[in-house]
Amino acid sequence: MQRWIVRIGAVVFAAAVAFTLKGQAPTQGPVTFERLIKAADEPGNWLMYSHTYDSWRYSSLNQIDVQTVKNLHVKWLFQGRHLEKFETTPLVANGIMYLTRPENAIYALDAATGRQLWSYEYRNPARTFNCCGKVNRGLAMLGNTLFMNTLDMHVVAVDARSGHEIWKTEMGDYTAAGGYAAPGAPLVVKDKLIVGMAGGEHGVNGFLDAYDTKTGQRLWRFNTIPQPGEANFGTWAGDSWKTGGVTTWNNGSYDPETNTLFWGTSNPWPDYNDDFRAGDNLYSCAVLALDPDTGKLKWFFQFTPHDLHDWDSTQIPILLDTEFRGEMRKTLAWANRNGFYYLIDRTNGKFLTAKAFVKQTWAKGFDDNGRPELIPGNEPTPEGNDHTWPGVDGGANWMSHSYSPLTKWLYVFAREEHRVFSKNAVPHPTTDEPDRPLAPGAIANAGAYDPAAGGAKTQNFGAPEESWGKVIAVDPSSGDVKWEHRVLTPPWGGVMATGGNLVFGGTLEGVVFALNAKTGERLWTFSANGPVFASPISYLANGKQMISIPAGDLIVTFGLD
Amino acid sequence: MWLRISLGILLPAAFLIGQGVQNPALTGEAVRSREIAKTNPFTTEADLQQGSALFQLHCSYCHGSHGEGGRGADLTAGVYKQGGTDPELFKTVRIGIPGTEMPAVRVSDDEVWRLVGWVKKLGSQGLSEKAPGDAAAGKATYAKSGCAGCHRIGKDGSDLGPDLTDIGRRRGLAFLTESIVKPDAFVPNAYRAVQLEMKSGPSVSGIRLNEDDLSVQVRDVGGNPRSYMKENIKEVHRDKPSLMPSYQTRLSEKELGDLVAYLNSLKGAQ
Repeated sequence: MQRWIVRIGAVVFAAAVAFTLKGQAPTQGPVTFERLIKAADEPGNWLMYSHTYDSWRYSSLNQIDVQTVKNLHVKWLFQGRHLEKFETTPLVANGIMYLTRPENAIYALDAATGRQLWSYEYRNPARTFNCCGKVNRGLAMLGNTLFMNTLDMHVVAVDARSGHEIWKTEMGDYTAAGGYAAPGAPLVVKDKLIVGMAGGEHGVNGFLDAYDTKTGQRLWRFNTIPQPGEANFGTWAGDSWKTGGVTTWNNGSYDPETNTLFWGTSNPWPDYNDDFRAGDNLYSCAVLALDPDTGKLKWFFQFTPHDLHDWDSTQIPILLDTEFRGEMRKTLAWANRNGFYYLIDRTNGKFLTAKAFVKQTWAKGFDDNGRPELIPGNEPTPEGNDHTWPGVDGGANWMSHSYSPLTKWLYVFAREEHRVFSKNAVPHPTTDEPDRPLAPGAIANAGAYDPAAGGAKTQNFGAPEESWGKVIAVDPSSGDVKWEHRVLTPPWGGVMATGGNLVFGGTLEGVVFALNAKTGERLWTFSANGPVFASPISYLANGKQMISIPAGDLIVTFGLD
Repeated sequence: MWLRISLGILLPAAFLIGQGVQNPALTGEAVRSREIAKTNPFTTEADLQQGSALFQLHCSYCHGSHGEGGRGADLTAGVYKQGGTDPELFKTVRIGIPGTEMPAVRVSDDEVWRLVGWVKKLGSQGLSEKAPGDAAAGKATYAKSGCAGCHRIGKDGSDLGPDLTDIGRRRGLAFLTESIVKPDAFVPNAYRAVQLEMKSGPSVSGIRLNEDDLSVQVRDVGGNPRSYMKENIKEVHRDKPSLMPSYQTRLSEKELGDLVAYLNSLKGAQ
């Protein structure tokens, strides 16, 4: 009897919260593809990872502005109660916030109070092969269904009204090669779910997948390393392509006008040892322009051919139309991990311009096709190369940039970073047995330690004089930096510009801030005291603008009275 | 046409992902189930030096360049939650610690053993070394030089500098000597000095306890924890990383040797 009561109660409850929390929904009903295309028209919701398909991460809400921001205060907290930090971008639809909590749980919250409505937890095996923490970066949504990637290489579809699992699909064997994982957020395009994967440090063979949102059936796979018989095969020496990495671990963007999907790719493997992977190593460190219906490649642009520094190009592509040399162009604006800001024609992949936005020591310029002209001496060395800028985590990384149509500037939370690049032995990824064959890229040993010379390079990470962070406003057509706001340490959080002419973000020490988008002046702060490893969002709850940002194990949501 | 293209793409990929390079060893089962040497087979001086170099590449980001800890555990303490025998340390390095940020270190087995050797060395650097000086005389030098004004040994002393209770086990003779004559050579993040130049009033010197973009927390030279808002600070100076003065010219060569011998004798509660 008690079970029946619980079940009946659950049904009543599910119906009550079915996508319309009373009085909070600016727009109601299922999240259709048409709504996703016009997501900018629904500033009260946050329907996809970057808010809109052009990935501006811009909220036109303006109740909180340069005048009122001083009154911003915490409205509610959500405690993850997990050892791992949040890296998620929550979605908000019709008064409900959906977010992922490490490792692979989904929570539905009342967006006005943070009170939990339901939760779903996907159980990963004890051992997964994520490089950088057991994290997840968020969800996609279509209709009444939420989609999440998992660390053991599955995609799950969950009913947004109840948290019940609808389908689950295995992308591939997560223990293959040196280990695969899928920590990123997926992207819905039409009736397809576009899903990337990680493992660039584990000798995997990368791809980007599309799945049927109704059934979970895989519809296409694009190999990010051309396989034998495919176009552009042969840019990897020997068999190095088999373990070349080139993953797709972040989110992408979509241009409905040209029906083009844009997605960035990661580093080639082995990261810092190129002894056996001569060549440009396509399509590593590149942006892919794909037909989302078929997965067919339209064009690609490789930012860092034959990368040696783990400078992934997995930043979120930003689509904007801007004037370039007197002519309006449809472009991709891309602040890359290699330290250069690029402007690319997104209709054909043509290189337009590039300019360094952080200190860099490795390129003296670019040819007409955007190929960098290298400065010698920046290669990783066995004893450690400590004079190459930017560092291994780059001038930008996975964290979102933002574009404001008010200022027409791009906002980048950049990293000025000094680290050491070391070239060392690399074991084969497919076995850890003592007598395993060595991989392409393996060398005899680390070898170069010289006690008389003071030994291996030592590092003092985290010292403010060694590296720091900065929010910069960039003119997208020229790459000129319009203003800079420096912070103590290189960030792991992204930024969001708003219609209130503000730029929100958070630091590694947990200082959440709002800057004047026109001047960079810091107008407001809050000490969350937990590292910000995510990017902010904004939405409406009961008609009032809210700002939400993860900090450590908390989701912190701010508002005005 | 699309069907042909898709098959061309999918079949090789399915082979590669599904079967061709599957590696159940990576689940950790292979490491747990297979025979692991009871003692480290790689313990020559050359192995140790390679272990040191590998440590800088793979471990120092979390455990500190000298094993002092930070994001990861302090490895100079010689205490290991996952076990301190050679096979236990091998497993920890090889497969990581599930449920924590400690990952598997992706190097060869030989290199794992060399890392194990260096990690054990970090936790016992002073145990195998015997200083030639007079430890009793060094104790007097320690007292005369005012070291207890900043350092603690057992219950006596202060907390401005590192605790020296078991420094003779954690650190070798060369490190101890360098720390006395060139204290800026290596300063753990937990003891890095800052000088706060205030907008008004006297400057403040101390050890940086914490910092963000709004405030900085220091332990001042009196040993008191203090917090200062950056809006009241003109500049944070970091150019001298240690508060400790050099004793290179303050001590004779014998006094220095005796002091090192005294510090080397401090093994803690063993």
